[in-house]
Amino acid sequence: MISVSGRVDSLTAGDLEQAINGKIGQGHRQILLNFADVTYISSGGLRVLLATAKKLRGDGDKYALCSLSAEVHKVLRLTGFLSIFTTYPSEGEAFARW
Amino acid sequence: MAMFPFIRKIDVVSSNSYLIRLPDAIIVIDPGGLPEQAGMLADVVADIPGDRDLPVITFLTHAHVDHFLGMQHVPLFVDATRSIIVVQDTGATALEEQDSRVTQAAVLGRGIISLRVGLRLFCRQEPACDGTLVRIPLPGGATAAVRYDAWSPGEGATIDRGRICFGSGSRIEVYRTPGHSPDSICIRVGRLLFIGDLPFAANPGIAGLAGWDQEALLRSLDGVLALLDRNDIDLVCPGHGRVITAKTARSMLAAAQTDARGLAGIEELDSERAAQTAAFAEDCMEQVNELFSVMAGRLWYVSYVMESLGESAVAEQADSLIRGEVIDELLDAFRAFSIEHHAGNHVSIHLALKAGQVIARLERAFEKDQLARIIDPTIVNRAERLLSAYTSMLRGFPPLVERETCDLNHVLEAVIIGCSVPPCSDDEVLSAADNEEAFLRLLLARIGTRPLLEDVSFVFRHGDERLLVLIDREHFADLVTYILEDMVGIGAGTVTIDVKCMADTVIVNITGTGRMVRSSQTWQVQGFLLWLAGQAGSSLTCEDTGEFRRFTIEIARAG
Repeated sequence: MISVSGRVDSLTAGDLEQAINGKIGQGHRQILLNFADVTYISSGGLRVLLATAKKLRGDGDKYALCSLSAEVHKVLRLTGFLSIFTTYPSEGEAFARW
Repeated sequence: MAMFPFIRKIDVVSSNSYLIRLPDAIIVIDPGGLPEQAGMLADVVADIPGDRDLPVITFLTHAHVDHFLGMQHVPLFVDATRSIIVVQDTGATALEEQDSRVTQAAVLGRGIISLRVGLRLFCRQEPACDGTLVRIPLPGGATAAVRYDAWSPGEGATIDRGRICFGSGSRIEVYRTPGHSPDSICIRVGRLLFIGDLPFAANPGIAGLAGWDQEALLRSLDGVLALLDRNDIDLVCPGHGRVITAKTARSMLAAAQTDARGLAGIEELDSERAAQTAAFAEDCMEQVNELFSVMAGRLWYVSYVMESLGESAVAEQADSLIRGEVIDELLDAFRAFSIEHHAGNHVSIHLALKAGQVIARLERAFEKDQLARIIDPTIVNRAERLLSAYTSMLRGFPPLVERETCDLNHVLEAVIIGCSVPPCSDDEVLSAADNEEAFLRLLLARIGTRPLLEDVSFVFRHGDERLLVLIDREHFADLVTYILEDMVGIGAGTVTIDVKCMADTVIVNITGTGRMVRSSQTWQVQGFLLWLAGQAGSSLTCEDTGEFRRFTIEIARAG
């Protein structure tokens, strides 16, 4: 699981991508992003989420987000992203239903 | 003659400065708005070898604080035994009387002291205005002479000109070019032309400043364009930005002229309007952030799906319709500016102008028409309208509101249909299968535009009677769409629109229920939606109980 906080914008989207790629590079094929403390996601952040979805669509791979704020949930819903990856209301629910 | 330009990064704090050494005098044009800038100019003057006795003549292209404020406390510029300040008559009065309106000190939040002007240009009471040669006493006992005339630099254009001659034969010409301000002048030294803020006089947030005059500006632009057409100017030195060729200046001034023609009747940009505009900028930017994230995200989604279908070329093409990185950087830059602005308690006009710059660049960062063929055109159109609304407000145009009597039920039905029906049916996509281009176009639209209400249980309750209300249909439809997006966006499983007819008003309740995502911060309705409701001809309130979120729109009945 990777916990993300603050804003995912032009300054920080690259850091998020690096963190995710680092995990994938270590052989992790199941990734949960905890967005509990994220209040804003820019188009650059959305691109990172999709790039990750592309990398983790093999058999046995799993990729999900949890604890979305209302602001981020709204953007993901309106962009259609919620049909690409699974989201869970909380970290607890994510682990319970993983 | 030698010229030393001091070119600054463009802002509203300080102008460029130019220092010119003539055999008889040192000329400073616009010492700028910052003491350190004026101090540096004074240091340069002090370092010129052998010229300690030459008078320093400081011309202002106009008396706006960003062009002169820096010299207030620099001894060289206020020492009447060494230095003389030269300004057009109206500007001279503003400087001597500490006029915070004409100098823009009020709107820019700057304090000014009275400055003594040694030579008032184009002063109607002076005999030189009759064409008489008048001697000008300069510091240190030197003299010059000035003569004015109404000069025609080219066919159809006349410009008030002043010719200032020095003993050695050096000559400076000044041209009266009001419009940006009543006291604006252009200054010619040899084959150089100093044009102050003339090229920016029609820009949003600049046009409309106190003293701005559209008719005068158009005449001044005619005159300076005719002057440039004589091909005896090599370089043009503006008040802000780099030195440019006469050809580039011509293009800029022609563009300013086109813009200026459309600016009849704009409101004055004073402190109050700057504050209103800055407040709207922040509300507006919050919404712009969301709209652009959604537009870009939609496109990334289309690109993702197309790539999954093996259509990499199409995916790449879709990606290119919006410059996401540029947009993110612009929006983040505005946010950083806004935080710094509030921390530093700066004046509103800075924030309003920054938003204007960001919005002008955003408008160039997405392909509206092509984008609207793929993703939901109502999102693209709303983004375009929002950017345009801000630019109009910054320019000083009254809000474009077209109130008309409408049947409210019809308006709401149209919005609901727009949010419920896909842009093309499955049958249409299938029937286009033989035509590759048409099929691809429909497929992209089908993927890119998902009806907002498709996965939501939706209820619309209204009476059968016609409900006539006086509203701006477009703003009202936008308002309802934004509210529906809010409900769906936070995961409302059921959305209800309930129309209630009262004696004089109609109440529209839009309620979302279900397992909605709660905001970590205290939720409150966005200022932008309140503005939109006002533009639509309605008022908006809301409540969020945790069980449901409800927006209530109240509209007066027509007739």
